[in-house]
Amino acid sequence: MARLVVLGGGVSGHTAATFAAKWLGSSHEVVVVTPNSKWNWIPSNIWVGVGEMSKEDVTFELAPVYAKAGITYKQAKAVSLNPEGDLTNDSPFVTIEYTQEGRAGEVENITYDYIINATGPKLNFGATPGLGNGSELGEYTVSVCTAEHAVHASQKLQKCIEKMRNGERQKFLVGTGHGMCTCQGAAFEYIFNIEHELNKAGVRHMADIKWISNESFLGDFGIGGMHMKSMGFAVSSKIFAESLFTERGVDWIIGAHVSKVEEGVVHYELLDGTIGTENFDFSMLIPPFAGVGLKSYAKDGSDITDVIFAPNGFMKVDAKYDAGAYENWRASDWPSTYQNPTYTNMFACGIAFAPPHAISKPMSSPSGTPINPTPPRTGMPSGIMGKAVAHSICDLILKGEDAPLQHASMADMGAACVASAGKGIFTGTAAAMTIYPVVPDFEKYPGTGRDVDYTFGEIGLAGHWIKHILHHLFLYKAKLKPGWTLIPE
Amino acid sequence: MVREIIKYPTPPSTAYATDVRVFNEEIVSLIDDLKETIEANQLDGLAAFQIGSYYNVVVIKNEDGSFLELLNPRLIKTEGKITTVEKTAYFGELSATVTRHDKISVVYEDREGKNNSLEADGEMSVLLQRKLDYTFGSTFLQKLSKEEKKRFEQKLEFGIESAISELCPTTFFRDKVMRGVNFITLLLLLNFLFSFFVSTNLETTLWNLQVYGALIALLLTLFYILYGQYEGKKYSGCTSCQIGNIIGTALIALVKISVIMAVSYIFMA
Repeated sequence: MARLVVLGGGVSGHTAATFAAKWLGSSHEVVVVTPNSKWNWIPSNIWVGVGEMSKEDVTFELAPVYAKAGITYKQAKAVSLNPEGDLTNDSPFVTIEYTQEGRAGEVENITYDYIINATGPKLNFGATPGLGNGSELGEYTVSVCTAEHAVHASQKLQKCIEKMRNGERQKFLVGTGHGMCTCQGAAFEYIFNIEHELNKAGVRHMADIKWISNESFLGDFGIGGMHMKSMGFAVSSKIFAESLFTERGVDWIIGAHVSKVEEGVVHYELLDGTIGTENFDFSMLIPPFAGVGLKSYAKDGSDITDVIFAPNGFMKVDAKYDAGAYENWRASDWPSTYQNPTYTNMFACGIAFAPPHAISKPMSSPSGTPINPTPPRTGMPSGIMGKAVAHSICDLILKGEDAPLQHASMADMGAACVASAGKGIFTGTAAAMTIYPVVPDFEKYPGTGRDVDYTFGEIGLAGHWIKHILHHLFLYKAKLKPGWTLIPE
Repeated sequence: MVREIIKYPTPPSTAYATDVRVFNEEIVSLIDDLKETIEANQLDGLAAFQIGSYYNVVVIKNEDGSFLELLNPRLIKTEGKITTVEKTAYFGELSATVTRHDKISVVYEDREGKNNSLEADGEMSVLLQRKLDYTFGSTFLQKLSKEEKKRFEQKLEFGIESAISELCPTTFFRDKVMRGVNFITLLLLLNFLFSFFVSTNLETTLWNLQVYGALIALLLTLFYILYGQYEGKKYSGCTSCQIGNIIGTALIALVKISVIMAVSYIFMA
């Protein structure tokens, strides 16, 4: 009997674990280690953050689902990896620390034959002074990165709405909280959902809404922007985004590294070297992401963390990490099997793998501060790579160690994204976008690096309906209800 | 090498706006071509797209004749608004009223890939923003207000080389004058018919009214001809503004008035 341990129960880890359990059957064991007791459909957190959904609407208990799937579930966080075992044990193992009520702090070593690192990111609030401490959200801003954060954000938003009803003007500042953030899409969704809610509450005229991000142009979204086929024309996401921002009365600051947050004030540095401040009454700033801080040790106990993990804490996989300068970047730099080059029974997927480099153009201020989005790994690619990795491991277990690995490179993968710009059955809007490939391939598609026939974008009510349908569809899939395997990632 | 400038209605390429990644001879050659094309066409600047290249390169001709080369430019900071009438080589002779940022800050790279930034305002700011539009696959069309965009798209139907300073309005002021003339003509007719049902004492008064009314109608028709000519010069591209149409319309009005007055003279005077 082989044992597959999956670290993390987010989109990628949950997909990998559930498919692996289905394909391996009861003759092999799948173990999921995740510190959370609930699964969270993160894309809907923005609706929790404006009070349109409850925490319960976007989460469900993992234990009964894993019990049904025959998956061993450990509510714990991974602490370290021993890919060679240790002096007393030749089997590789992962050390975990329980977070489950009643067992909190208890440590256990779990041996494995294969391991998937799908821990997701550490929300690195501590990277920006005042934004938070370590992975803890600070007191001045809010976040929608977790369902709990989103509930807190919603409460703060309601207070602001009350103030506006009482005649007090409020300033909203939403975006990224560091020069090296990703996930601009979530902030984009949140700012327009706030705008939509303020309109509904009849207090829009009392609000100043501003966007702040590390993108060098609006609509970069961490993927270097895109050209979307819309109504027969190819429109740059910059034009698309600028039109939307202007239409909805949202001002913007771009090319910004938020260097410090204080009560009601954000300090920033721009790409042109300008230093500035922006006041706010309500601010949601996405933190930069980092690896969760897993350590790794060789058999003799020596620290080999830097062998397995990149400096940012994400796990090294089959990517080309020495691509060098922007001019040398190639689509082929991106990993396709997500297998660790040193320990071939280790894989990483979702946000946990170390990308070879950014997708957006690397930029920095005159003082040398890097200010550019880091590459996003949204739900669809994360799910696809999770499934591919599970497939590879199942083949290795069932067909033997020579079985070919599955490939799912982001440079050869399309993605669909539906970004909400307001919730409502008849008043909602969302931008529905598809891009192919996610990582531009300038050799295959000279110019934009993408196939414009498969890169599409449209904003409207239909997009909102799609987003809402997807919310229910993916929760249904994640709960492993009948026919769940038929629903694509 | 002087290159051909892409003009409307050639659709914008779907392969524009890729950042320059390798600063090589190809880029230097592209910059040289942009400069020569600017000089040959006496332009103030060009984006690479305008000569059929998909690289994110803009060259601006400064007032002193030197050139500003911007590779991978990004508009980072903006302040205030400015509204001007703009023309661009892509749309030939056509112009549009565009509202843009007054003061801007742009970061860009030079031909060696070195980072630079500049601040601009007024005309230079407008010019840079217009060229930056191209580097993201846009033209100033996307920056126009709804009304201005509608007007400009109607202009495009006539082609970009026709020097239409403005569109033909659907109604002209002279039409209102002619409606006045027609209304008075109708009153003259009614007055004439009314004269058959009144006593002889009133007939003289009605005839006087008929004469004064006809005089007003004649003066208005004369004003219609003169103002119509003035309006025709304002909208020179409008076929309905041609003097022949105006004189023809005036003649028809005069004939109507003359007939009514001739008959009125016979029965009322």
